[in-house]
Amino acid sequence: MKGRLALFVVSLCLGLILLGCDNRSGGQGAPGATLSQLAGGGSPVGQGDSGWLGELLGYVVLPFLLEGALLAVQISVLAMAGGVLLGLGLALMRLSSYAPIRVVAWIYIWFVRGTPQLLQLVFLYDALPGIGIKLDTFTTAVIGFALNEAAFSAEIIRGGILSVNRNQTVAAASLGMGPLLALRRIILPQAMRAILPGMANDSIGMIKGTSIASVIFVNELTFRSQQIVGQNFKFFTVFAAAGVIYLMLTSAISLAQSLLEHRFNHELEPSARGASSWRRFVGWGPSWLPGRVAAGAALPAGVVGTAPAIAAPRPETAAERSAHGLLWREHLLAASAPQADDEGRPFVACYNVCKSYGGREVLRNLDLTVKRGEVVTIIGPSGSGKSTLLRLINHLEHVDWGDIKIDGQYVGYEKHGPSMRPVGDLAKARADARIGMVFQQFNLFNHFTAVQNISEAPVQVYGEDPKKARNLALSLLASVGLARHADHLPHRLSGGQQQRVAIARALAISPRLMLFDEPTSALDPELVGEVLAVIRRLAEAGMTMIVVTHEIRFAREVADRVVFMDEGSIVEEGTPAEVLDNPKEERTQRFLRMVERAETVVDA
Amino acid sequence: MVRSKLLFAVAVVLGSSAVMLGTVPAARAADPPKCEPDKLAAKYPSLVGKKVIIGQDGESPPYSYRDPKDFNNIIGADADMVRAAFKCIGGQFEFKLGGWSGLLPAVIAGQADVMWDNLYFTTERAKQVDYVIYMLAGTGALVKKGNPKNITSMDTTCGLTATAGLGTVEEAAFRDQSEKCKAAGKATINILTYPDIPAGTRLIQNDRADILLSDLAIVDQLSENNPAVFQRGFKVVSDFKIGVAMKKGNEDLLKALADALTVLQAEGVQKKIYEQYKLDPALMQPIAIQR
Repeated sequence: MKGRLALFVVSLCLGLILLGCDNRSGGQGAPGATLSQLAGGGSPVGQGDSGWLGELLGYVVLPFLLEGALLAVQISVLAMAGGVLLGLGLALMRLSSYAPIRVVAWIYIWFVRGTPQLLQLVFLYDALPGIGIKLDTFTTAVIGFALNEAAFSAEIIRGGILSVNRNQTVAAASLGMGPLLALRRIILPQAMRAILPGMANDSIGMIKGTSIASVIFVNELTFRSQQIVGQNFKFFTVFAAAGVIYLMLTSAISLAQSLLEHRFNHELEPSARGASSWRRFVGWGPSWLPGRVAAGAALPAGVVGTAPAIAAPRPETAAERSAHGLLWREHLLAASAPQADDEGRPFVACYNVCKSYGGREVLRNLDLTVKRGEVVTIIGPSGSGKSTLLRLINHLEHVDWGDIKIDGQYVGYEKHGPSMRPVGDLAKARADARIGMVFQQFNLFNHFTAVQNISEAPVQVYGEDPKKARNLALSLLASVGLARHADHLPHRLSGGQQQRVAIARALAISPRLMLFDEPTSALDPELVGEVLAVIRRLAEAGMTMIVVTHEIRFAREVADRVVFMDEGSIVEEGTPAEVLDNPKEERTQRFLRMVERAETVVDA
Repeated sequence: MVRSKLLFAVAVVLGSSAVMLGTVPAARAADPPKCEPDKLAAKYPSLVGKKVIIGQDGESPPYSYRDPKDFNNIIGADADMVRAAFKCIGGQFEFKLGGWSGLLPAVIAGQADVMWDNLYFTTERAKQVDYVIYMLAGTGALVKKGNPKNITSMDTTCGLTATAGLGTVEEAAFRDQSEKCKAAGKATINILTYPDIPAGTRLIQNDRADILLSDLAIVDQLSENNPAVFQRGFKVVSDFKIGVAMKKGNEDLLKALADALTVLQAEGVQKKIYEQYKLDPALMQPIAIQR
């Protein structure tokens, strides 16, 4: 806020200097024309002689009007600050899962947006004294405009939050991030691009709109200019001068908007975000401005940058493998080292799990166990409940009925009679469980570079030293063959590269269990191999994994056990040789025939 | 229009006083008031140490407007009367400037103590506030130079476009007249309201309205200062009284202002101020408290 105020002042001064020069060159009276000259009694209304420009400029620099402008700015800055904070709260209330909270926020917004602001101001100023609350003019204006702005900004912020893909929230949750942390670090920074233009509109509207507060004795710019006009009837020059002052103030807001939009433009590499906002503001700029060089360089870099991304991945060098492979393997094995007392106990144990969505049964009475170090692949047709099962295991969604334990512990549930009830701090439970998850659509945080994506959870959730986390992230990136892409944003990486970053991100929380939800389904066929290679190496390292996949060949190669699911239950399970080569069940055979046919088409 | 209705609604809701009407002579023959600023504590104890807040709009010459020589200074007939009155009372005061239509609600709510800004007496307003009457209202019609529509009385305004201040008695007068036109089988009046006098004069200047009805002194000053643009169509010295208004229950303040105004009128100070601002001294009214 302070910075914004400083911006106003700077732009105002600049504008005044420019106008001052203009005035002198025109020779139409000194900028500081005396008031008696300006007011010049008895002149006819709407005079048209050549002195009007000097007169107008004299009003622009008139302290009496500038004080009014300052008052408008002070009220607007404070009211915007308060209004945006309140608006954020209201927006979150509107998005709450509890209906009463949603309703309260809705009613507030409905009422405040739906009643005239003039009435609200008069009410605050003239009705509250009736119950013993007597606010002064300035406070009333700030509170009145803030309460009003809260309603409008709540909807703008809510729109911004909704514009961020829900996948981002799911990915944050899978890393153990709580709702507020995810909001602050993941959602809001990405929502800002959608929020900023609306906020700038509101700021500009408010600066100009403070004039209605004259009814509660706020002597701001418009009211002061009306008073001058009331006294000398020179409405053209006085109102034009007020217009010039307003234009300077609102230009400052437009400039601030431009700066902030650049700051929150996550399609620009972090290095390019420092570019001059002047060029963006006016659309052009002299070549010596730093922004021009930076912005000019950004385009070819972007074009060139996509070339290696599309090309086949660079094979990991032997040096990289030896340098990073060890650190990586140590990191993983430290987390999944077996306890002495758990011999024979399943690591993942699902008993009688049921789940429905709106009356449609997705999982019915499902039992599944996974031993420590075991790799289980789940195959089955679309809609058979495979992905839902994974989301229940790391408690991204609640089970309706049944029992899921990881290493003998519930993840975010407490036993309540025969059923399980979710605990309050679900995020902490997820973080403690250390279950890594990889999604079909990668779900990388779009505003973070590859290395930031990986170090985010270790630093923000597990409180690790940022430097250490970055080193770990770099070594994980190297281990998936992406050392050279550490500072690239996700949109500059190919699908395969993004998925490898996503795997590294999941590995960074030292997972004891990795869940893969169709990790190669969204990839072009030629990129599937690089991702499967990484998963294969994890299997070799002894990671406990559940992989939902359509890659039958991969399942055969990497799985200890294959599970075939259909219509919410397990139809058949066993070794790859049993299930894939000699399926007993008719449904399994039919599914495998269909998949084989599809693979043949792809191969051809 | 909406604004005046809203403000009026607020004013009505806030009010709690009963209807009290009646004129009480402020000055008793046996005990003529005097200016005794030293005796403030004895005469008006509740005003001791109190800064009385005077609500004015600061944009209505010749009553209340910015001094062309120093915009931070408020001058005008009403403003100068305030100064003279408080000099006589010996109390302290402060001007608070706001839009005219917000002044009365502020007085009723206690955000200002006095509205001293060319306020007409109406029984509706007197339900909320007490008045000290000091002047009779003259109403003037401002028209374009040459009076192209030949406007000579309210009866000649049927079918024309007329403008008056938001929430003023002039606005109400046009509405009455419009009904009369309708009853007489003539075209109704198209009424525009303006937020401040300069805005109203622009309506006349740009031929957006044919007649502006406002206080006589304002209209006279406008036509005198802009003889090439405006002239006065007609004038009506109405029976509207103008007074200083304050919330009911401020007996010391009411008495202090009535006493002071009585002295100012008796000693010719009011007349002098009116002549200075080219107001017709014939409009002065005997000072009286009216509830």
